[in-house]
Amino acid sequence: MGYDPENPMADRITDIGPPHYSKFHPPVIAKNKGKWLWHEITQPGVLVHKAESGDECWTVRVGAARLISTQLIYEMCDIADAHCDGYLRFTTRNNVEFMVDDKAKVQPLLDDLASRSNKFPVGGTGAGVTNIVHTQGWVHCHTPATDASGVVKAVMDELFDYFVTMKLPAQVRIALACCLNMCGAVHASDIAILGVHRKPPMIDHSRITGVCELPLAIASCPLGAVKPAKAEVDGKTIKTVKVNNDRCMYCGNCYTMCPAMPLADPEGDGIAILVGGKVSNSRSAPKFSKLVIPFLPNTPPRWPETVEAVKNILETYAGDARKYERIGEWAERIGWEKFFEKCNIPFTIKSVDDYRLAYETWRTTTQFKYTNAIK
Amino acid sequence: MAKHETPLLDELESGPWPSFVTDIKRQAEKNPDCWDILGLLELSFKERITHWKHGGIVGVFGYGGGIVGRYCDVPKQFPGVEHFHTVRVNQPASKYYSTENLRALMALWDKHGSGMTNMHGSTGDIILLGCRTEALEPFFWDLTHELGQDLGGSGSNLRTPANCLGQSRCEWSCYDTEELCHHLTMHYQDEIHRPAFPYKFKFKFSGCSNDCVAAIARSDFAVIGTWRDDIRIDQVAVKEYVAGKHPANGGSYIGGDWDAFSIKKEVLDLCPTECMWMEGDELKIDNAECTRCMHCINVMPRALRPGAHGGASICIGAKAPILDGAQFATLIIPFMEVSAENEFENVIDVIENVWDWWMEVGKNRERIGETMQRVGLPTFIKVMGLDPIPQHIKEPRSNPYVFWEEEEVPGGFERCVDDFRKRHAA
Amino acid sequence: MGMSDEEIQAAMIEKATKSPKAQLYIKDFYKCDPDTKPRMIKNLANDLVKKGELMFWSSGSTTMYARPDRIKNEEGDSGVN
Repeated sequence: MGYDPENPMADRITDIGPPHYSKFHPPVIAKNKGKWLWHEITQPGVLVHKAESGDECWTVRVGAARLISTQLIYEMCDIADAHCDGYLRFTTRNNVEFMVDDKAKVQPLLDDLASRSNKFPVGGTGAGVTNIVHTQGWVHCHTPATDASGVVKAVMDELFDYFVTMKLPAQVRIALACCLNMCGAVHASDIAILGVHRKPPMIDHSRITGVCELPLAIASCPLGAVKPAKAEVDGKTIKTVKVNNDRCMYCGNCYTMCPAMPLADPEGDGIAILVGGKVSNSRSAPKFSKLVIPFLPNTPPRWPETVEAVKNILETYAGDARKYERIGEWAERIGWEKFFEKCNIPFTIKSVDDYRLAYETWRTTTQFKYTNAIK
Repeated sequence: MAKHETPLLDELESGPWPSFVTDIKRQAEKNPDCWDILGLLELSFKERITHWKHGGIVGVFGYGGGIVGRYCDVPKQFPGVEHFHTVRVNQPASKYYSTENLRALMALWDKHGSGMTNMHGSTGDIILLGCRTEALEPFFWDLTHELGQDLGGSGSNLRTPANCLGQSRCEWSCYDTEELCHHLTMHYQDEIHRPAFPYKFKFKFSGCSNDCVAAIARSDFAVIGTWRDDIRIDQVAVKEYVAGKHPANGGSYIGGDWDAFSIKKEVLDLCPTECMWMEGDELKIDNAECTRCMHCINVMPRALRPGAHGGASICIGAKAPILDGAQFATLIIPFMEVSAENEFENVIDVIENVWDWWMEVGKNRERIGETMQRVGLPTFIKVMGLDPIPQHIKEPRSNPYVFWEEEEVPGGFERCVDDFRKRHAA
Repeated sequence: MGMSDEEIQAAMIEKATKSPKAQLYIKDFYKCDPDTKPRMIKNLANDLVKKGELMFWSSGSTTMYARPDRIKNEEGDSGVN
């Protein structure tokens, strides 16, 4: 049996969806679903959930790279088989959670995890830095302006202490998207690392006829910067497109629709830093991340400028914010002018919005603070 | 044995955080194609530019989503990654796994693909990275026949729905997120697997307004748990928090250098509506003034719980910045019962009302949040058949440029200028 | 009298064959019968894919339809679909 290429439609199964989640609940979860009373973090990376029945579910949270191999997943399964009755789960932030039903089983699990070199760091809870959610970058994407896995590894190595402790004023959510399409939806993160292009696309007139549907390429541009044009190729006039460079914001949408319009560039591409977003409705409404550093160069393998920028913002916040304050709440309380001064980040015209709906971000009050920006 | 020199990537094998480079090398010992992942990535690190291009592949036969085509632009140098398509496998709700299932799925991936994965992608899918075109159909056959599992969505489809783990392990969840997620995933298999819309459409389900799946920031249709009655208070536990017997914020600050817990500073003073106070050692809450932000409950989880009458708010239209700028979802239905007993019929009614309108009115490649912006919230409220309420807005408009329907104005718009002139000389 | 499903599908095939654009959005097919609900048009288009009369093309974020012989693809191997 198996797939028969001669007869691909025979016995075909479609539209069956995922397995029912209840098949994968550990027994303590299945028994107490909907009847939990409270939960608490007992040490970094370890949570206990108490049920009405008196049962306890102890969870050990472990950080992982987002790009992982089947070999590593088999090893996770070995751990779950040895300690967790053969169940485990993943969080929305690429952490792995191993659950046991008795406090006495926690330490043996922690010891096992610690014995496997640095593969399973325990942490990512409470007022710390949890795992960075990110996109594919140079590992697998056609429009990235930077790598993802490499930058994240470099940043997490430097911030590792904040993953395994809970000493910050509040949780800090860091996210990375490798271009401004933001597959990773970094637009509501405490600190967002965003790949940006800075050069308009090139146009490969010799390829465009074969690989590209011109009306689609033209329609793909959000700013109407791609226009029909003609060009000479091998002495013949062909239909092609041109790009109004003044209107281009380097989003790469045209390249997605038309492979003859590549825009990536080693000098043009790099990283912008945005801060102060949040998703939770706790205390204040959700907030967007705001652009504070418009460009840092791509410097593989360890992106020292980006690592330093993230660490500087994180530690300035850690030293100045009040308990419970997220980065965005802190910046709003002290004022963005103070944010730039305290973080020692040079303010540039690039942080002043000139896109749609920009006016909402302009200051229309005489209230301001004197900082070193006023000479 | 390594096939390529990777001096730059090798530098990412040191440091305390787990190294994806070390992991890929381990996988390459099993599947030599993975040496070419490293070789190609090393080239990108050296040249500071990507070497991938996308292809139009969308799925297995009859599916318009679930596979994203990917080709390497230097296949002669790195034949192992010449084709390197992404396969999206629909994750089980809440992302719990038995090791039996996970091992079987990984064995299938070792058989047909590179063995590299993302657990999980931004949509919530299990992402399997790196498959040749000719392996797609055999993989899909085995996935459906041997494991009884299926692909997720991509393109202009309903994207794979995702949820926070909800009531399975969280006392704050105001409805059963995983049941709603699974139910709608099964109900809309056709929309997940075949294109249906002007552009992508995402569902996300969070059990409370802490919003652990970022529904309000990332989904076209966000169902976010909330409650209708009063916060449940255990006054004994309140006293225990005041006495310092339990750690603040559910233990989030253990090991941090902070002053002793102060219920005034950490709970009462940070409540955005100032609806809480102490009477002696009793905590009082004016629930009618509460906006259910979760702060006090987060800080004292043993003492406070969401009300027992749970349900959800429906927020519509979030998206990342392309094109008009980022949008959070707009509150459209403040409170709705969410129950498996009626098979979520009321939620489905809202969804289909939204879809029928958006399929008609939405432009190509326009997310519903952008369509809402274009036609305006008043029009959207009308097409949804809802009464406008102050909960729909942050504040009333500050400009007076109101559009009136002709029938709202006595006598209508048609008037006789001659009659006017009889009384008003030109 | 409205058009039958077969008539609408024939109009869709004709549009995909003769349109100057080889790749069409689902909305482009709505005009084949303005009286039919978009969701029905979508079902008819997807049915044509099943029958091999149309093929899907995707940028990853957007999906389009085309006649199999008109699809443009860099690798020319969207034939899996």
